[in-house]
Amino acid sequence: MIKAEQKPIAEIMEMIAPYKKILILGCGTCVTVCFAGGEKEVGLLASSLRIASAATGQGKTFAEATVQRQCEWEFIDAVADQIKRVDAVLSLGCGIGVQALAERYPDEVILPGVNTTFLGMAVQPGVFEERCVACGDCILGQTAGICPIARCAKNLLNGPCGGSQNGKCEINPDLDCAWQLIYDRLARLGQLDRLATIMPPKDWSKDRDGGPRKIVREDLRL
Amino acid sequence: MSEKNDVSSLPTEALPPCTAACPAHTDVRGYVNAIARGDLEEAYQLAREANPLPYICGKVCAHACETECRRGDIDEPVAICALKRFATEQHDLRKGHAPGLSVAEPKEDKVAIVGAGPGGLTVAHDLARMGYKVTVFDANPKPGGTMQVGIPLYRLPRDTVELEVAPLRELGIEFVTNTRVSDVDALLADGYKAVFLAIGSHAGRKLRLANADLPDVWLNMEFLRRVALGEKVDLSGRHVLVLGGGNVAIDVARTAVRLGAAEVSMTCLESCTMMPAHAWEIEEALDEGVQMFHDRTFKEIVAENGKVKGVRCVKVDFRGFLPTGGIDMDEFPETEHVLPADLVIFAIGQGPDLSFLPQDGSIAQTRRRTIQVDPLTLATTKPGVFAGGDAITGVGFIIDAVGAGHRAARSIDAYLRGIDPATVQPPEPEKLGELQKKTVSHVRPLKRDEMPKLDADLRKTSFEEVYLGYTETQAIRAAHRCLTCGAGAQVDTDKCIGCLTCVRVCPYEVVALVRGTANVPIDQCQACGICASECPAKAITMKLYSDDDLLKEIKSAVRKAKRAVSVGTGNGKPIIIGFACRYCAYAGEDPSVVKARLPSNVKTIEVLCSGKVDSLYLLKAFEFGADGVFVAGCLEGDCHNEKGSVHAGQRVAYVKGLLDQIGLGSGRLEMFNMSPAQGADMTEAVATLTASIKELGPSPVRRR
Repeated sequence: MIKAEQKPIAEIMEMIAPYKKILILGCGTCVTVCFAGGEKEVGLLASSLRIASAATGQGKTFAEATVQRQCEWEFIDAVADQIKRVDAVLSLGCGIGVQALAERYPDEVILPGVNTTFLGMAVQPGVFEERCVACGDCILGQTAGICPIARCAKNLLNGPCGGSQNGKCEINPDLDCAWQLIYDRLARLGQLDRLATIMPPKDWSKDRDGGPRKIVREDLRL
Repeated sequence: MSEKNDVSSLPTEALPPCTAACPAHTDVRGYVNAIARGDLEEAYQLAREANPLPYICGKVCAHACETECRRGDIDEPVAICALKRFATEQHDLRKGHAPGLSVAEPKEDKVAIVGAGPGGLTVAHDLARMGYKVTVFDANPKPGGTMQVGIPLYRLPRDTVELEVAPLRELGIEFVTNTRVSDVDALLADGYKAVFLAIGSHAGRKLRLANADLPDVWLNMEFLRRVALGEKVDLSGRHVLVLGGGNVAIDVARTAVRLGAAEVSMTCLESCTMMPAHAWEIEEALDEGVQMFHDRTFKEIVAENGKVKGVRCVKVDFRGFLPTGGIDMDEFPETEHVLPADLVIFAIGQGPDLSFLPQDGSIAQTRRRTIQVDPLTLATTKPGVFAGGDAITGVGFIIDAVGAGHRAARSIDAYLRGIDPATVQPPEPEKLGELQKKTVSHVRPLKRDEMPKLDADLRKTSFEEVYLGYTETQAIRAAHRCLTCGAGAQVDTDKCIGCLTCVRVCPYEVVALVRGTANVPIDQCQACGICASECPAKAITMKLYSDDDLLKEIKSAVRKAKRAVSVGTGNGKPIIIGFACRYCAYAGEDPSVVKARLPSNVKTIEVLCSGKVDSLYLLKAFEFGADGVFVAGCLEGDCHNEKGSVHAGQRVAYVKGLLDQIGLGSGRLEMFNMSPAQGADMTEAVATLTASIKELGPSPVRRR
């Protein structure tokens, strides 16, 4: 899922400084699961901002709402009335949610309350790790199910590099070397011979390098 | 007080086993938890709500609730009966027996109740509250039935009975004592629109043995009645043998001990383990020197010159009673022997005296010589006449009669309003399932305190009450043993996104995802509240201590503290709100007592576990105007719910970070880790926090 983390409150306070009535809008899907922007975080942030506002006598008001997914028109349409009543919306959705709101409500101020960080998972409670960069051209079938694009600092297709030390990456001793992981897993699968095949340069046009991407499924269009 | 016994307000969800087992469906969990919170008045009111005889039941209830209590699967049941007694002892009677009891507008219809025992009193109470004119007839000089003329004084002092009857008089119920009703039809002819027969079972029975009619062969009920009514029965020097092994037989034997008998023995068909008397009563009788001869059947009363010499017995292998009423046993003729005695008292059972029923059979009897009723409505075969209690069951317990009384009152009210009584009875409630082994393995065992009682040597020579009641500390400790069954987490499946957080944090391993959403089996949940506090989607609420309730409580606590710091000795002191784990923060003392010791600027809010203290509560306290906030939870490793206090500590650290970010400062929030074993409550820690908050000055939220 998409992982995000809340922005520092100081940054949020600076963003909302010009506005009096603010709606803090949570998203009930990815950002809820990663404890960045669900109903609970909306409540905590709203209470924190109310305290800060009251402490400095700013007299701001903070409304709270959470929709199931901010990246769907129908769900964000449901809070149209609440959005119309405020000076600004502080979205705790990911960057998609913020942009969906901005597109749907062209006359309203929509601000991001979280930094959308990566596509990943909770490897244990409270610890989230990146697993995918949405490169558009998946090679996991060749790399034993471990992505060297997302998990190798250099995105090497034919690793490891000389910086792999005792299974760790030279840029961070806490970080596993993706190519060590790939090697170990290929060994387990009895497929070490795959390493003898040199991977050709990747078609990066399917990644962001080809500009914003789009999928069209004609069969689904209405 | 709500009219809990109205059908409309009866709960439809599965009840905790204690409440389901109670024939009156008393809210046991409610009053036990009120005691744990130190809210003793609420505890009393909850105990009184379903039962007009709480004082009596606090002393002599057979407490099926304890038999069913699921704490018994872990160690021993919660001492529910003792806690009810504690609640009644703490109740301030100046507030009335039933503060806030609602009474309907008076109605014209008159109802006659025959028998002032627990069943009769309950019907009278309920009907009087509904506005009916109620008259209770009783053959004895005082109301109370078996509680007046049966149960020995050492178990139930008679001022307790008086205390329960007085408020019934205040309800306008008329008591006609020393009056044995002999003609039910005459009552109906006299203008009573309905009659309730609650005659109890006061007729003892003898076996047809040789010499059973000698003057020194007595009957259980008659003996107990004479003693209870104050007759001086002197048994000094007598050798008493009680025939029977039930609770009444024990009452008879222990009464004989107190009347000075030189020796008291009991003999019965049953083996030691099969005796129908309650185990604790048997033990107390043995402590008082009663001898027991098990596995015997009785052949004759041995007599010489009209004087009883003993009972000829044969040893048996008794396996039980057959459905036909016969006895399933083998006799061993070679074991014939005489148990010596000069006074024999039959206590082999008793039944209702039905000689007063109309001769025309219009009120039918069962083959078991009880009054025949429709079990749902308690209607007899005569229109307008209802019956309940021992008169229909043979022998039951007080609380059974109370339950029957509520049922009969609903029926009689319906009958008088022209409604079919069968339509006003609530369905039997469902009860929560059993605790799974895995759940049991996670629950912390807590020892049950014995109730203090009079020394056996002192007991033998007086009718002083045996049980002395729990002290306050014992009662709080006993209340903490309640598992608060069925009060736990409830998932809003529309909000749940299946994030698995609850599954991961539950210390009891009871949460699972079912079809993509969290499922907390209500019968396994231990109500620690950790899942509800951690849920990022706010999809989980607690039945007891819900978020809404706690947020209201926080607001009100801040308001009260604000008032306190604006006047008198509190003037200028910081407003401090504490969240207190009920197991450790009060060091086992009554929370209300500890709270009273805290300065008026400090207000605490109880939680079942510090793990239930949501980060939001901490922020809300500041938002509402607190200058300082603390969480008092157990030491790591001591937590009632394994890691509840660890979760609380992590949340405190997180919120401290937020407080720094918004400029309020992390120093205004603290976590205290306490140990109930240290014997120190939170007073000292609170004083230290108060001093440091004072240095920080009032919260800028409040200054504005």
